Amino acid sequence: MLKINNLSANVDNGNKQIINNLSLAVPAGEVHAIMGPNGAGKSTLSYVLTGKPGYEVTSGDVLLSGESLLDFSPEERAAKGIFLSFQYPIEIPGVPTMTFLKTALNAQRRANGLDEMGAPEFLKKSRALATELKIKPEMLKRPLNVGFSGGEKKRMEIFQMMMLEPNFILMDETDSGLDVDALRVVAEGVNKLRDPKRGILIITHYQRLLDYIVPDKVHVLSAGRIAASGDAEFAKKLEVEGYDAYA
Amino acid sequence: MLTHDINLFPSRRDEKWKYSDLRSSLKHLSDGIEDENKPNFLLPDGLILEEVDCEFSSVKNISSALAENYCNKAWKINVPESFKSDQSLIISNLNSGHSRIIININTGGCLSLVEYYESQSNSFINTNIIINIMDKGELDRVIFHDDTQETVRISSAIINSESNTKITQNAISFGSALSRIETLLTASGENLNATINGAYLLSENRHCDMTSNIELLKPNCHIRQLVKGVVKDKSNGVFQGKFHVHRPAQHTDAEMRHDALMLSDRSKIRSKPELEIYADDVACAHGNTIGQLDEDVLFYLRQRSIPRAEAEAMLTEAFVSDVFYSLKDDQLQENILTKIRGRL
Repeated sequence: MLKINNLSANVDNGNKQIINNLSLAVPAGEVHAIMGPNGAGKSTLSYVLTGKPGYEVTSGDVLLSGESLLDFSPEERAAKGIFLSFQYPIEIPGVPTMTFLKTALNAQRRANGLDEMGAPEFLKKSRALATELKIKPEMLKRPLNVGFSGGEKKRMEIFQMMMLEPNFILMDETDSGLDVDALRVVAEGVNKLRDPKRGILIITHYQRLLDYIVPDKVHVLSAGRIAASGDAEFAKKLEVEGYDAYA
Repeated sequence: MLTHDINLFPSRRDEKWKYSDLRSSLKHLSDGIEDENKPNFLLPDGLILEEVDCEFSSVKNISSALAENYCNKAWKINVPESFKSDQSLIISNLNSGHSRIIININTGGCLSLVEYYESQSNSFINTNIIINIMDKGELDRVIFHDDTQETVRISSAIINSESNTKITQNAISFGSALSRIETLLTASGENLNATINGAYLLSENRHCDMTSNIELLKPNCHIRQLVKGVVKDKSNGVFQGKFHVHRPAQHTDAEMRHDALMLSDRSKIRSKPELEIYADDVACAHGNTIGQLDEDVLFYLRQRSIPRAEAEAMLTEAFVSDVFYSLKDDQLQENILTKIRGRL
């Protein structure tokens, strides 16, 4: 599903190589986790995969379902089905959550040659999912993420994910700032999206989230490349032993 | 007495017109300079329009000087004591030449005023409005400016308010070759509560100047001003705002904000917020920001499949629109927001 081949990337105007000859494959139907110390390049990897301006790929390739993503804009990559759940979801004053979501959903549908979703169908779908994630209807009328708590923002990311039904999900430090209850709600949401046709890559500092979303594989990212890989038990070992051995 | 001598018009050398060079824009356009304009009035039930002589006003500026020179008549509306109406006074067809409008709001009277400046003629247009608000009077004013790109437009409102009055003003301008929406407010009584908001959204070579001067002569006035601007292409935005707090005007609470977005490298914004304070127990502030759309926010929207141009339009609309969220007339609010959307 997602294949990263010998990828190297810089931050623009910076000489420092942050992703360094990284290769990784996440097959459809699997959940992989990337763990690693601060500054290992975890967030950079998520930005490079999604095409954030300011990052330059110097070599290698990223394929989603066999198609190279690197020549596409962020919106084209998103429409092809790659979804990033942000570590720090952005607040957008003046844009009601529902307006944003409807625009996003219909932009995605247009890009894929589908008709736009009508208001009744959109409302029905969004209400049902909001209830499932314990999101109050008032929150959907408020400007996106403005005044939301850390937990509410992360729940809103999962809500968007469920509405947009991406092929491949990237989760960047989704557990940061969440209490146990919010973590459980978020994990339940993600587990519902586990699907034989969908790949999920979870980027995290701590093993905690992986108690709730059990991964098929765990990788250590260190100095911009995959330093070691293992199964779900490997995450527990890392939690105890730390990352020093892989530096 | 003015004659049609182009050198008598203010230019870049005049401090108040430094950023809006009226003289040079009139060099390319002379239609309307010597004409008298007859606006259309749509009156609420209970109000009548009178035709009176155009006399000299106490406030001197280029707009009133031109109106006094070229207009034989002024258009006068008297809002009676305690007048209230669901209907607005609508003034439109301000199409070419000069006009003077006089509005007196008597004690306790409330007026909702909507001015449409939508000229189809490429000419010079000067609207000089004198508004007197007596004790406990209320004015709710909306200005909608969308001229052709060749029009040169001045709208100057000279407002005097007595005690316990309330003024709400919301202006939207899409600019023209040169346009200036000027509000000169003198609070000669206590307890004025005024909100003077505006937004300009400019493209191509359009120019809009939102200038206001508020003279606070008596205590306990509360002023809020928020002007937002967006400039694209080679357009020019100007904001000049001044609060002049005189010595007796203690306990003035006044805030001025101008926030603008520059969406192209060739556009310009010039901003001059001023506070002149002689009273010693007041709360006065001004803030001014000029920036671009936040790339992180744009990326967030693009990561949700929204194309860049659409994301920019969405953020720009959100930026400008909050000026108009407090409009009482829902239909007018929707019309303004739709128009804004259409220009993004």
